[in-house]
Amino acid sequence: MSFEPKIIGFLCNWCAYTAADLAGISRLKYPDNIRIIRVMCTGRIEPSFVLKAFASGADGVLVAGCHPGGCHYQEGNYKAYKRTLLLKKLLPQFGIASERFRLEFIASSEGEKFARVVGEMVGQLKILGPLQTAAVRIAELDGLFGEAEGGTGGGR
Amino acid sequence: MPEIRTGVYVCHCGSNISEKVDVAAVVDFAAKLTGVAVSRDYKYMCSEPGQELIKKDIRELGINRVVVASCSPRMHEPTFRRALNAAGLNGYLLEMANIREQVSWVTLNPAQATQKAKALISGAVRKVRSNQPLEEKYVEVNPNVLVVGGGIAGLEAALKIANSGNQVYLVEREPSVGGNMAKFDKTFPTLDCAACILTPKMVEAGQHEKVKMFTYSEVAGVDGYIGNFKVKVRKKARYVDLNKCTACGDCEKVCPVNTADAFNEGLSERKAIYKLFAQAVPNVYQIEKKDKPPCRVACPAGVNVQGYLALTREGKYREALALVRENMPIPAVCGRVCFHPCEAECRRGELDEPVSINAVKRFLADYENKQGQPPVVNPQAKSGKRVAVIGSGPAGLAAAFYLNKAGHEVVVFEAKPEAGGLLRYGIPEYRLPKDVLKRELDYITDSGVKLRTNTRLGRDFSINDLKKQGYDAVFLAVGAGKEQNLGLEGEELSGVMSGLSFLEAANSRQKLDVNSDKVLVIGGGNAAVDAARTAKRLGAGSVEVIYRRTRNEMPAFAEEVAEAEREGISFRFLTAPLKITGKAGRVTSVECQQMELGEPDESGRRQPIPVPNAKFTLAADYVLVAIGQRVDPLFGGSKYVDIETNSNGTVKTNQYYLTNVLGVFAGGDMVTGPARMVDAVAAGKEASRMIDAYLRGETMPEREQPAKGQKEPLTGKKYYEVLRHRSPHLAVDKRGWRDEVVAALSEQDVMAEARRCLDCGVCSECFECVPACHAQAINHQAQDEYVDLEVGSIILATGFENLDPAVGVQWGYRRFPNVLTGLQFERLSNASGPTGGKLLTEDGREPEAVAILHCIGSRDKNYQEYCSRVCCMASLKFAHLVKEKIKAKVYEFYIDMRAYGKQYEEFYNRVQDEGVNFIRGKGAEVLEKSGRLVVRAEDTLLGAFREVPVDMVILNSALIPRRDAGAVAHLFSIQRSRDGFFLESHPKLEPIKTATDGIYLAGTCQGPKDIPDTVAQAAGAAAEALEKITAGRVKVSPITAYNIAERCSGCKTCIAMCPYKAISFDEERKVAIYNEALCKGCGTCVASCPSGAARMRNYETDQMLEIIEGVCAV
Repeated sequence: MSFEPKIIGFLCNWCAYTAADLAGISRLKYPDNIRIIRVMCTGRIEPSFVLKAFASGADGVLVAGCHPGGCHYQEGNYKAYKRTLLLKKLLPQFGIASERFRLEFIASSEGEKFARVVGEMVGQLKILGPLQTAAVRIAELDGLFGEAEGGTGGGR
Repeated sequence: MPEIRTGVYVCHCGSNISEKVDVAAVVDFAAKLTGVAVSRDYKYMCSEPGQELIKKDIRELGINRVVVASCSPRMHEPTFRRALNAAGLNGYLLEMANIREQVSWVTLNPAQATQKAKALISGAVRKVRSNQPLEEKYVEVNPNVLVVGGGIAGLEAALKIANSGNQVYLVEREPSVGGNMAKFDKTFPTLDCAACILTPKMVEAGQHEKVKMFTYSEVAGVDGYIGNFKVKVRKKARYVDLNKCTACGDCEKVCPVNTADAFNEGLSERKAIYKLFAQAVPNVYQIEKKDKPPCRVACPAGVNVQGYLALTREGKYREALALVRENMPIPAVCGRVCFHPCEAECRRGELDEPVSINAVKRFLADYENKQGQPPVVNPQAKSGKRVAVIGSGPAGLAAAFYLNKAGHEVVVFEAKPEAGGLLRYGIPEYRLPKDVLKRELDYITDSGVKLRTNTRLGRDFSINDLKKQGYDAVFLAVGAGKEQNLGLEGEELSGVMSGLSFLEAANSRQKLDVNSDKVLVIGGGNAAVDAARTAKRLGAGSVEVIYRRTRNEMPAFAEEVAEAEREGISFRFLTAPLKITGKAGRVTSVECQQMELGEPDESGRRQPIPVPNAKFTLAADYVLVAIGQRVDPLFGGSKYVDIETNSNGTVKTNQYYLTNVLGVFAGGDMVTGPARMVDAVAAGKEASRMIDAYLRGETMPEREQPAKGQKEPLTGKKYYEVLRHRSPHLAVDKRGWRDEVVAALSEQDVMAEARRCLDCGVCSECFECVPACHAQAINHQAQDEYVDLEVGSIILATGFENLDPAVGVQWGYRRFPNVLTGLQFERLSNASGPTGGKLLTEDGREPEAVAILHCIGSRDKNYQEYCSRVCCMASLKFAHLVKEKIKAKVYEFYIDMRAYGKQYEEFYNRVQDEGVNFIRGKGAEVLEKSGRLVVRAEDTLLGAFREVPVDMVILNSALIPRRDAGAVAHLFSIQRSRDGFFLESHPKLEPIKTATDGIYLAGTCQGPKDIPDTVAQAAGAAAEALEKITAGRVKVSPITAYNIAERCSGCKTCIAMCPYKAISFDEERKVAIYNEALCKGCGTCVASCPSGAARMRNYETDQMLEIIEGVCAV
C-alpha cells in the first residue's frame, strides 16, 4: 500500500472550520488524510501543539485561520502568523522539513480553497515521505511534554 | 474525583453519515476507549428520541461525559448541551466529533471514512475526560437598536422596532433615506408606483419619536459585543443646518455650479447645493464639496479659481472679480503677467487642454475698467494701529491692501519715484501697460492706503525712526532688485549693463541709444527675454540671447521665448561668456565657450560643462547681463536696519513672517530670493494676517497649509466640448514699444472658457448661497461631527449597487449615448425624473425600438456567477412601461425567464400578450450601424445569429455588493460569502443572523432579492433584535481565559495580546488580572503566556495535547 500521510489541521472556529463545513455542505471530495481539531481562534495555537502533533505521528500540520483583517477576534490570526514564522525556523532543527507545516488564511466562504489546500498538502507530503525520525527526536527532548502536562496542564 | 464515565453516541443522520461511515464498527471502536462506559448509535441523534437516549444514560448509567459524533458542532452543539442540562449534567461536559461535514460528505472511500470517524471520536473522548462544568454567563441587553442603511430594508426594520416602543438609530450614508427603491418608477408585478409605497414609510420614520435619523452619516467605529455595542457615527458636514433649512430652494437658484445628478444616474445635472430628490427625508439641502480643485491648490495666493469661473459663467463679473480680489489685489496685473500655475494643474487638461484661466481673470479686470468705477473697498472698523510697509512691489502692495482692509492705517514707503517695484521697472510696457498698473495702484490707494515715494529706507529713514513716528508694525518687502554680476573681465566696459538697469531705464522712458547696434543678452530667464525684446523695440540692429544650457532648461516662459523669436530675436544655446573685450573703454565683443550638458544637478537640470577647445568670439555693441537677481547686500549691512540676514542677503524670518526685531515683519523676494509675482502677493497677503493678529494682540494664526491635491477620477459630468481659446496676439510688424502684445479674450470667448471648467471641486465656494439663504442656514466652514451611541443590537441593511456595465465594452455602455442601465431607465420613466417620465433618446426623439438585455454580468463566469434574481421581472416591467408609454417595438434578450414569485408568471404572460418580442439568447454585443444601435445575439430557439436594430438599449446589470462591503464587513467583524455579500450564519436556518452575535442582516446586503423578500427579511431582523430586547439578557460563552495568579510572573505579555482590554495589571501583586466578563475566548493570551499561568476553560493546554494524541492514535 502506498504511503498515506496523516495531517493534523488546527482550524479556527469562525473561518477555516466553517470553510471545512462548507466544503462538506457542498459535498466537495478531498483526501481523508486530514484530522481536524477545532480551536476558537488560531491565536490559541501554541507552538507545542504543532510539535506534539508531529511527535504523535502526524506527517504534516496545517494551521488555518481567517484572512488578515477578517479575524473574529480582530487580530488573533496575526499573532498566529508571527508565531508561525518562528516555528518554521525551529522545525528543521528537529529534523522536520518546514514544508510539513503550513499556515493558510481561509475565509468561511472558501470551502473550495480548504479542499484544495488539503489536496496540495497530501501531494507534497507524499513526496516528502513519512516522518519517522523526528518523532523520536522530539520525544527525546527532555521533558518537553512532561513539563507541559505536569506544569502548564491543569483541570484534572 | 468521581470516575469518568463517558457515553459515545454516533449518529447516522438518516443515511448522510451511515452511507460512508460503518457506524457499527465505530460504535465498537468507541466502546473500547478509556473511560467509555457506553457507546450507542441512532438514526437521528438530534431528534427527540435521540436526545432521550443520552438523557436516559445520564440518569440510569451515571454517564458524566458525553461525546456525540454527528454533524458540525456549529449546527447542533447547543441542542446537545441543552439535552445534557435537561438530564442534570452540565452542558459543557460535551464534545462533538464532526463526522458528517468533515467525514462522510467529503470522503469517497467508506473504509477511510470510517477510519477518520474513529480518529475524531478518539480525540473527542480523550479531551472530554478533562472537560469541566462551566456556568452559563448572561449579559444585559441594551434595548436600543442601530439600523445601518435607510433603504426599504432599513426603514422597515427601524419602524418595526420603533413601533414596539424601543429606540432606533437609523444611519444613512446619503442625504436622504429611501435607498435604491426611491429611484424606481414602478414595482413589479403590481405596478405600484415605488414612491407611493415608499415615501409614507420614509415620512413615518422621519417623524417617529423613537427613530433618531442620522442621514448623510456613516458608522465610523464599532466596539463591544451583543447587548452592549458602542458605535461611533460620523455625521458628514452638510454645510446646511438641518434645523434651519426650510427647503425653499433660494440657494439653488444662485448656485453657479452644475454637476452630474447621481440620483438621476447622471442623466441630468444639479447644483452643488441640492436636495437629493423632491420627497427627500429629511427635507433639506446640502452642499457637495470635494477636495479643493487643483487650480486653487496650485495658486500660491490661493485664488478661488473655480469660484470666479463659475460666477463668470453666470455673467456675474462683478462678483467674480470681488472673489479674485479676496486673495489677489491686483487682478489686471496678474491677468497679464502671472504665468498661471493653475492652468498647468487644471483637470480639463486631462481631457483636452486646460481652461484659459488667466485670460478670464484679465477680462474680468478689464471689463470692470470699461464699466467705470471699481467697487469701493469698505475696510473694517479702525483699529487705531499704524503699519509701515517698505517697498511697493507686489508683496508690499498686497500686505498694504489687506492690512488697510483689516482696519489699520497703512503707509507704503517707496524708494523710487513711482510705486510698483519690478512690476513698473522690471516688466516692459508691451507686457504690462503702465496705465493698467496705475489702475491697480489707484484702486489700492483709493481704498485708503497712503503712498510715499522717493523715500528710501536706510537713506531717508530708519526703522527706529518709524517706531518713533508711532508705527506699531513694519512690513519689509523691498524685493530682490539687485542684478548679479558675471564676475568676468571686461564687465566694467561702457556698453555693458545689467538687464534690470536696462529695463528700468526703458521703463522710466530714459533715452537709450541702441540704434542699429548689435545687442547681446546673457541669460535665460524672463528678465533676459524682456531685455532682448525691449532692445529690439528700441531699434537695435540685431539682438541675440546667449544661454549656457538649452531651450528646455530655460527658466523663461516658453510663450515669451516663442514671441521673442517671432520678433526676430535669435537664441544661441550652450554658450557661456568667458571674457568681455573692448576698445577704448567700449565693449566690442564677447569671448564665448561652447558647452554641453552633463549630469543633472540638485535642481534637476542638467549641468552645462565646457566642450574642450571650443571657444569663439561674438561681436557686440551692447551687452545686457540678466543672469539673475538677489537681495541688495547693502540692505542687510545697513547701519539703519538691524535685521538678521542669511549669507545670500535674504532676510531671516520665522513661520509668522517675523524678523529678529519684534514688530518688524518681512516677506516676498527679500525673504525667499527671486520668485514669481504671485508668490510675492501670496507672501504679502499671508503676512498681513500675521501682522493683523500681532496688532490685535491675538494668537498668531497658523500658516496656511497647502491643501491636498485632488485625485478622484473625473466622472459623470457631460462637459462642454469646446477647445481652449487663445488670446489674440498683435501682429509682429505692428508691435510698437508700448503696444500690448497679448490682447484680451472677447466676452464670448471668456464665457466659453468659463463653461469649459469641469467644476471638479463641485462646490466652488463662491459663497453666493450664503446671502441668498434667508434662514441663515448655510455655513461653509462646517466640519464633520461624531456621535457616540450605545446599542444592544445592530441591523445591517446597506443594500446593493449595480454592476457598471462599462466593464464589458461589448455592451456599449458609455460608448453610445442611448445605452442605459436599468436604473437609468427607471429615472427616465419616472415622472419626477429628468424628462418628467417621457421616454426619449438623448437627442429628444421617441425611440422606435427598444432592446432590453438580461443577465448583464449575472450568470456570467466573467463577472458574477450568480443569478441576480430581480432582473427578469424588472425587464418585464421595463417592457410593459415602454409599451404603455410609446408605440415602440420591444425586444427582450434573455437566457432563461425566471418568474418565480407570487403573481410573477402571470405578469410574464401579460407582458407577452402586450406584444413584446422575446428572443432567447443573451445580448452579446451592442454596435452602432448607420446611425442606429444594433443588438447582436444568438437566438437559441431559431439557432441563428440575429442583429436587431433599435434606438435604445437597456442593460439590466447584476446586483453586486457595495464597493465598500469589505470595509463594512471588517468594521462590524462579520464575514462575506464568496460573492462578496454579507454572510449569514446558516444558509437555510439562519439567513438573518451573522457569525457575530447581535448583528443581523436585512435585504440585499446579504444577497440579491426583490422588495417583498427584502421587507420580509427586514421584519425578521427586527424580530431577532426584539427577541433579545424582550429577553433582556443574552447568553454568552463561558469558554473564557483566566489565570493562576501564583504562576503569573507579571511579564504583561498577555496584556498586549488581548484585543478586548480584558486583562489588567495589579501593580501591588505584580500579576495580571483577567476580567472574564470582557473575555471573548480567543485564547491568544493563553498561547502567549510563557509561565503557563494563563489558561482557557475547556481548551486547557493539556486537553489540546490529549486531543492531538487522540486523533493521531488512529
